[in-house]
Amino acid sequence: MLALIYFIILGVIAVGSALCVLLSKHPLYGALSLVVSMLSLAGIYGLLGSPFIGVVQIMVYAGAIIMLLTFVIMVLNAAKDSKTPMFDKVSLFVIPAALVLSGLVGFILVRAPLAFDAETVRGSVKITSETLFNVAQTGPGYFVLFEVIGLLLLSAMGAAVLMAKKRLGTNEEEK
Amino acid sequence: MLQPMYIQILALVIFTIGLIVAVSRRNIFFVLMGVELALNAVNLSFVGFAKTLPSDMSITGQIVPLFTIAVAAAEACVGLAMVIMIFRNRESVDSNDFTNLKG
Repeated sequence: MLALIYFIILGVIAVGSALCVLLSKHPLYGALSLVVSMLSLAGIYGLLGSPFIGVVQIMVYAGAIIMLLTFVIMVLNAAKDSKTPMFDKVSLFVIPAALVLSGLVGFILVRAPLAFDAETVRGSVKITSETLFNVAQTGPGYFVLFEVIGLLLLSAMGAAVLMAKKRLGTNEEEK
Repeated sequence: MLQPMYIQILALVIFTIGLIVAVSRRNIFFVLMGVELALNAVNLSFVGFAKTLPSDMSITGQIVPLFTIAVAAAEACVGLAMVIMIFRNRESVDSNDFTNLKG
């Protein structure tokens, strides 16, 4: 019963701040609302018994990604884009389409039989790291994916630096 | 009692809001934020479904979100670099101005 109360509180905060992202005018307010949404989702992960994912969510999403987004927003436009209109005429068709789609999915979803398993595993640091770095031949082999993720992050960093830097060896005015 | 269905419904609501933000807002930063919101909802759905499975299978549903978070970090990094590059060419963050492919 207490878990349900905590879940309702965190869920209302998450949905409310997601709506703030939808309705806010300046992207900086949207980014700050997104931080609140992600922190409450991290709380839900901890409530469900996956504390490691919650901590990673706080560190990577609320820490790194939103920091990068806020940094770019503040570097690029001080007050320039507040002239950009929020919605246009296409939104009149797109928003009902998305709502109808989620209504259909929800209609299927509420008819599905789901129940918590009693012997499910709490995703603590120990069990997560033991499964992730299980290099045995008969193991699940997540460590290969882990290496691939490392390569992906390295190439993404290189691509971002190459794209966002000014051209070296060219003058400012000719660009 | 807390039911797994409530978690899936919350994930569906957040995914829908993220989808609407991504396709209907015109500011390019809001498009990126909507994609992040939708990815978050999918992670929540993964964890919620993992809790309905017995022990050896429920580990998978709690490890895949870690990879999703890493891919989201890479996506945000490259996406923001592209936003910087487009902003330098166009002096605009309105996605309706990016009409190079329109012909």
